Amino acid sequence: MMGFFRQVGVVAAKDLRAELRTKEAINSSLAFALVILLMFSFAFDPLADTTREIAGGLLWIVFAFAGTLVLNRSFARELPNDCLDGLIAAPVSRAALFLGKACASFLLVLGVQLVSLPVFGIFYNVPWTRQFPELFLVLVLGTWGLTVVGTISSALTVNIRLRELMLPMLTYPILFPALLGAMQLTAILVAGNPIGPGDFGWLKMMVGFDVIYTAVSLALVETILVS
Amino acid sequence: MGERDLFYIPLGGTAALGAATALTASIGFLRTRDFRFDSLAHAATETSLAFLGAAIVSGCFVIHSATGLWWTWDARLTAALVCWLLFATCLMLRQGVEEPSRRAAFAAVWSIFACLDVPLVAATAAWWKPGKALPIEWTWPRLGLLAAMAIAGGLFTAVRARHEDSGCVPPVD
Repeated sequence: MMGFFRQVGVVAAKDLRAELRTKEAINSSLAFALVILLMFSFAFDPLADTTREIAGGLLWIVFAFAGTLVLNRSFARELPNDCLDGLIAAPVSRAALFLGKACASFLLVLGVQLVSLPVFGIFYNVPWTRQFPELFLVLVLGTWGLTVVGTISSALTVNIRLRELMLPMLTYPILFPALLGAMQLTAILVAGNPIGPGDFGWLKMMVGFDVIYTAVSLALVETILVS
Repeated sequence: MGERDLFYIPLGGTAALGAATALTASIGFLRTRDFRFDSLAHAATETSLAFLGAAIVSGCFVIHSATGLWWTWDARLTAALVCWLLFATCLMLRQGVEEPSRRAAFAAVWSIFACLDVPLVAATAAWWKPGKALPIEWTWPRLGLLAAMAIAGGLFTAVRARHEDSGCVPPVD
């Protein structure tokens, strides 16, 4: 069991190192997040009270779009020089390979979110810092759901035409329960209100979604990653 | 219960049967690697998509006669739409992958993912828009229609699965 987590750590560290050297996914993702945040301000009055009510939804649309840019690169990064075949042939279990890549993408997407959150707060005058610990928990749960489903989609679409288009098309409908929960909770938290007992259901839904899809992905990834 | 109310529940029920068939066939393919299961999963997903699409359209008519709107974002319509998109992604993934054994395995995995999401989507939609959907009543006319539609859907699935198996496209005329 220790060996498994070491393998996960090695794969995640490799992906993070490769990404931090080139910064190709994280730069484009950050730039894209900022562009969408700017575009929203054209669509409606950024300082109106109604905008603050839908702030949670807006924020997660930005995160979902920017996240797919990172996730697209997760397996596509291994295509040049047939690195993917090398990784599959390497003496690490495929579940560890998948989990390592998911962890690396998770940290990258979370990084993009933590940079765009203050920008969002300033642009739209949203008091997001008041409930930050709870908000961070929602970010972690939502992002893990996004990365786990996104990493599997990235593995499925790595060799097909229109890869960049297919990944979001596959990912967003599956993510409906997790994204809707994240949007509802984030809308409450960025308005500066605490999560009430009536909203724990959403939190449970997000935890359940993450657990189910992590378990199923780990069980089925052996059939996807074949050389 | 008007004539319009009669159809959407049996149509949705047939779609659910198709999805259950697709899930079973996908698990069967991953266990046995028998391509007949893959053809069955493909055909059942197509049938399910068609019936769910028809259920959504007839649901729109029911809602229109009740409220004057074509779409109200109530829990059942929303869940049906998300499930329709889920099944559509299964077929899109199939179209994208060219190598047959890889296509079958990928589609089976994605079918399992999509079917697991169906109860979560239904629960989420019900929380999101609580208390608007009417209870589903299985009256005799609806049960009769469900039986008829299930037989029709089964025939569609069988014909499509046989075409897939023989590797030929269905005749155009």
